Amino acid sequence: MANKDEVSRRQFLNYTLTGVGGFMAAGMLLPMVRFAIDPIMKQGAGQDMVAVVEEGKITEEPQRFTFKVNQKDGWYESEVTQAAWVFKDKNGDIVALSPICKHLGCTVDWGTDPSHPNQFYCPCHGGRYTKDGTNVKGTPPLAPLDVYKKEVKDGKLYLGQAEPQ
Amino acid sequence: MKWCSKDLDMYLQASEYVDTAIVPLIPITWGSQKKNVILKGEFPLILSEEIERQLKGRVFLFPAITYLVSERDEEILKRISALTSELENEGMPYPVFITSDARWTGAEVLGDRLVNIPPVPLEHMDEEYQREIVSEQVKHILQIVTKKWQNTF
Repeated sequence: MANKDEVSRRQFLNYTLTGVGGFMAAGMLLPMVRFAIDPIMKQGAGQDMVAVVEEGKITEEPQRFTFKVNQKDGWYESEVTQAAWVFKDKNGDIVALSPICKHLGCTVDWGTDPSHPNQFYCPCHGGRYTKDGTNVKGTPPLAPLDVYKKEVKDGKLYLGQAEPQ
Repeated sequence: MKWCSKDLDMYLQASEYVDTAIVPLIPITWGSQKKNVILKGEFPLILSEEIERQLKGRVFLFPAITYLVSERDEEILKRISALTSELENEGMPYPVFITSDARWTGAEVLGDRLVNIPPVPLEHMDEEYQREIVSEQVKHILQIVTKKWQNTF
């Protein structure tokens, strides 16, 4: 007769088979799960800061710089060219504004309206913004220009996502 | 705004601000001239997309009007003017036809609605230079378009 602590042949086979079966199932399923969720896990890394320009080139007058961003939209990946108006304000702090008009999404330009040389001007519907991006009352835009997340590292300006002020 | 339902919804919200249709004119052939003809289509398409990006809030980018190289001028112009009058009746007073096909220089039906840009073969240039050429041409077209807009808004 089997002792109480002893494992019977039937039990032993049961345990081993479940164990081995479990390993095999996990071995098959895990790569599939990884494949399925991989782009979602990587998405955060795709939104990194991008080097745009050397700090020394930034003046008090806004200048337009373009940079490339890898845009990951779930499974779809593409390279998009973005632009920023970059300048130093009175305190010497760097400001990077998005050139996208908050009215209907045209691209604003600096100082192209002869009667308001020190403002951002939208050629579509005459929207204007002051140098710090604030929308001028009485023109179509209802919100200030978006501001890029920024960081200065090794003498270079890095820009991230544009965020509403 | 682009030719898609999402942008059309945006248009319906703000139709009083949109008055300009951008329509590329693109020739088609599969004859011996195809390389040349593709070039004449590629460049205006790139420019039109860039103009849409810059003036998103006031222009609507249409699908191109395409025509066979062998098609007769009168036939094509008839289609173009049918579109022009439809646009004018439906609140788009400033259609802009963008082409690199020298065929349309001086076509009276098109008049100042035509923007004729000589084609530039971008394929062998490095990217920096490509972008410079495109942005230079876009600036030129923007001037033409915004001039039409003077004293509106």
